[in-house]
Amino acid sequence: MKDKSELAKPYYGDGDLRIGVYVCHCGKNIGGVVRCEEVAEFAEGLPNVIVSKDSLYTCSEPGQEQIKTDIKEHKLNRVVVASCTPRLHEPTFRAACESAGLNPYLLEMANIREHCSWAHLHDKDLATEKAKDLVAMAVHRAALLQPQFELTVPVKRVAMVIGGGVAGIQAALDMADAGYKVYLVERSGSIGGRMAQIDKTFPTMDCSICILAPKMSEVGRHPNIELLTLSEVKEVDGHIGNFRVKVLKKARYVTKGCTACGDCIDACPQLTPDEFNAGLSIRRAIYMPFAQAVPSQFMIDMDRCLNNQGIVACDRCFQACSHKCIDYADTDKILELEVGTIVVATGVDVYDPTALTELGYGRFPNVITTLEFERLINAGGPSSGELIRPSDRKRPEKVAFLQCIGSRSKRSNPYCSNVCCMNTVKDALLIKEHWPETEIYVFYIDIRAFGKGFEDLFQRARREGVTFIRGIPGEIIEDIDTGNLKLLGENTLLGTPYRYEMDMVILSVGIKPRSDAGTLQRLLNLSTDTDGFYMEAHPKLRPVDTTTGGVFLAGAAEGPKDIKDSVTQASAAASRANILMSRGEVKVPAITAKIDPNKCVACGLCAKVCPYHAIEGGKDLGYYRVIEAACQGCGACVPECKFGALDQSHFTEEQIISQLDQAVAKDPNTKIICFACNWCSYAGADFAGVSRIQYPANVRIIRTMCSARVSPEWIERAFIKGAGAVLVSGCHPSDCHYNNANQNTLKRVEKYWKRMEKLGINKDRLRLAWISAAEGAQFAKVIEEMAAGIKKLRSESIHAASEALLKRKTKKVEGS
Amino acid sequence: MTTIKIWNFFPREALYECYQCARCTGSCPAMEVAPAYGPRETILKCLNLGHEAVVQDEKIWLCCTCNVCEDRCPQKIPISDLLVALRNSAARRGNIPGKLGMAIELLAKTGRSMIVHQLDEMRAHHGLGPLPPIPVDEIKQILKKTKLNDVIDF
Repeated sequence: MKDKSELAKPYYGDGDLRIGVYVCHCGKNIGGVVRCEEVAEFAEGLPNVIVSKDSLYTCSEPGQEQIKTDIKEHKLNRVVVASCTPRLHEPTFRAACESAGLNPYLLEMANIREHCSWAHLHDKDLATEKAKDLVAMAVHRAALLQPQFELTVPVKRVAMVIGGGVAGIQAALDMADAGYKVYLVERSGSIGGRMAQIDKTFPTMDCSICILAPKMSEVGRHPNIELLTLSEVKEVDGHIGNFRVKVLKKARYVTKGCTACGDCIDACPQLTPDEFNAGLSIRRAIYMPFAQAVPSQFMIDMDRCLNNQGIVACDRCFQACSHKCIDYADTDKILELEVGTIVVATGVDVYDPTALTELGYGRFPNVITTLEFERLINAGGPSSGELIRPSDRKRPEKVAFLQCIGSRSKRSNPYCSNVCCMNTVKDALLIKEHWPETEIYVFYIDIRAFGKGFEDLFQRARREGVTFIRGIPGEIIEDIDTGNLKLLGENTLLGTPYRYEMDMVILSVGIKPRSDAGTLQRLLNLSTDTDGFYMEAHPKLRPVDTTTGGVFLAGAAEGPKDIKDSVTQASAAASRANILMSRGEVKVPAITAKIDPNKCVACGLCAKVCPYHAIEGGKDLGYYRVIEAACQGCGACVPECKFGALDQSHFTEEQIISQLDQAVAKDPNTKIICFACNWCSYAGADFAGVSRIQYPANVRIIRTMCSARVSPEWIERAFIKGAGAVLVSGCHPSDCHYNNANQNTLKRVEKYWKRMEKLGINKDRLRLAWISAAEGAQFAKVIEEMAAGIKKLRSESIHAASEALLKRKTKKVEGS
Repeated sequence: MTTIKIWNFFPREALYECYQCARCTGSCPAMEVAPAYGPRETILKCLNLGHEAVVQDEKIWLCCTCNVCEDRCPQKIPISDLLVALRNSAARRGNIPGKLGMAIELLAKTGRSMIVHQLDEMRAHHGLGPLPPIPVDEIKQILKKTKLNDVIDF
């Protein structure tokens, strides 16, 4: 690291503030709504502003060059860029400042695109006024910015992959091959995942297990991979580069000496449906998930075994095992692992169509799902690859596929499941391949054959005589005598009703997030999108990163995708993790909390609210201090200090207050002050803008890292200054990016409501809203409601409230 | 006679979510007896031809508002509400099937939608007494309150 004083010196510290303001048109994105020249002109009149310019694309090379040149020429020591959200281009402009010799933390951004032009498309005057306010807020904050220096933390060169499907396997292999130790954590008894269950893959019609099994055994024997099956992640602690993970490794009851000879199977008296075959066959209590399983080792399902709860009622498998590998006394273990990076590849569940009663799944034996079909037609499946229908085990001559079951619907999953169209085309071809005389009908709404080789496969299916009928049956009726199925519907292209009698119906079911996806989401502080899939840090440019540093996504856990896309994404995730591990260190943002030991009275309240145990000290020491490497920069501790000893770097009290004061400088009574946390609510407001959801323009958003940073004193100040309403918004409880720090937000806001009640102030003027990064519409709705609330307020009551609060405050100051 | 815009009574946005899967028509009992009718087609016509064209069409009177289509619609479009709105609009334009008009007129004048001469005889056969007299004026009042007399003279 360069010497601190040297970095800060050239243009900082000479007492004079010299601010440069750059207003970006972003083509027509901002310029089409906000009068950027007018905003730049306005900024020129703001205190300490030396230059103010507007440009078409500030993020472009010439745009950045302009900033760099101005920093040198005009000796600028603060830069304000009014453009898009800082979540997008803050790193860009920080880098530009740094290359011109200015500390990157002396940059401030005003979000006049997502929070202004895109959200107020139809009112140029209001949008321009709002943009001016946002720039004024940014300029006043910029004046108070201080140079900061980022801390470097080491990255442990060990990775963890959660989920052993094809994505997890690929990610583990890529990192292991790069030379890093990998823990591959799989919940079931074998790796392989969904791909192992599927018969063939599209569009190449490769045998699925044949191409997967070599990869699986490679994982099994790779010297850098430690495979943990029957294991689940229970606790995650720490941060990027240094995670401490507790993994529960469940007992297998069969030791490593097992040679998978299978002598035990016949001995076992206990039967249960076989999950791997989608319940279409039975297995014993002692079993191997499937023939190609890795590890190739049996296991005992204790819920089925007669020896449950420590009572040995049966030892037939023990007697049958010539290697004596059965150990009924095996116990669950907790492993404590330290890893630097984590790849999440937990995959998906399959939609259960039982809820769609008109289709008869679960009631009519010959209505099955595509996953059941995959097992039926697989040579290793329950019927050894013979296509038979469940009711009479006869080969069906007329087969129907129904598309979009559980997908694209408000009654189930609203999204397209991505894989079902091509899967059905492939399945239809498989039937045609073995039994060409079979009549196949595919009932569809749209066939989405978008990928490489997909259209080819679709056309091939049509050439081979598969009939595609546009229109999903509204109802299926079973003929009780024959087990045949009558499909009632309409051929929409012909505009005529149809009635088909089929021997078997296959429901092309969609895929959905794991039912317990929430557990890992909480453990790793991930976000989910509105459909429940894990959310990427940026949908286009950071598609495998998450908002938690050092945690990456692979496979369908991030959104429905086929095998190829899962593998591609897994390699991408592994590569992102490899970058971190290969460098071996990472810089963490310099936004940590600081304690002034002279003001600290060692009460310890801050240490109690710190979600990371990053504050240490005590009465003996006389003060508390922040462990910088452990501090994540949420700022939850700051409002807790009653003595003004605490503050947060780059989000200081005076910086935020300067923003607040500017926000209420004009017409405060009509304004909504919104404190939004960086990860969820600020991003949610961004998303509202990106989605062009329109909402009232009288809201002014102030960003904090966590809603727990919001001090009740800010709320008070806003009301004293006459703000119409205050919104405190953060991540949903349990989704908080700082280990539930936002429970403090709730506590503080509730306390403030009580105070308002006591002073007779309308409680509705302070609102607390949990808004996730995917809830743009929710953000807009809250603002709409609050704006409607403000309209009902009388200015006298705002004034009276302000007076009451001011009186109380002065009394308190005098009292102390 | 006043004409009404059905969009005052039905959320037009809901229709945009229809992707023509035809589950509605497939589950429609009216379609079973009158294959000319189909809710899917009705929605498509509203979207592509406008509701002006749809209200001319006698087919909208075939819906029996059983709500099965609505129950099975993957997009939760309130299809029965749409049909009711369309019929209101059609009726106010005078596009009401002749037989239906007659039935309403009869109802207003006699309190019954159809005349069955042997009714009392049939009831007697089953050991039931004659029906009580019909409060025709009251029925007429109710019908007037629903503004049905805007559509049919009685």
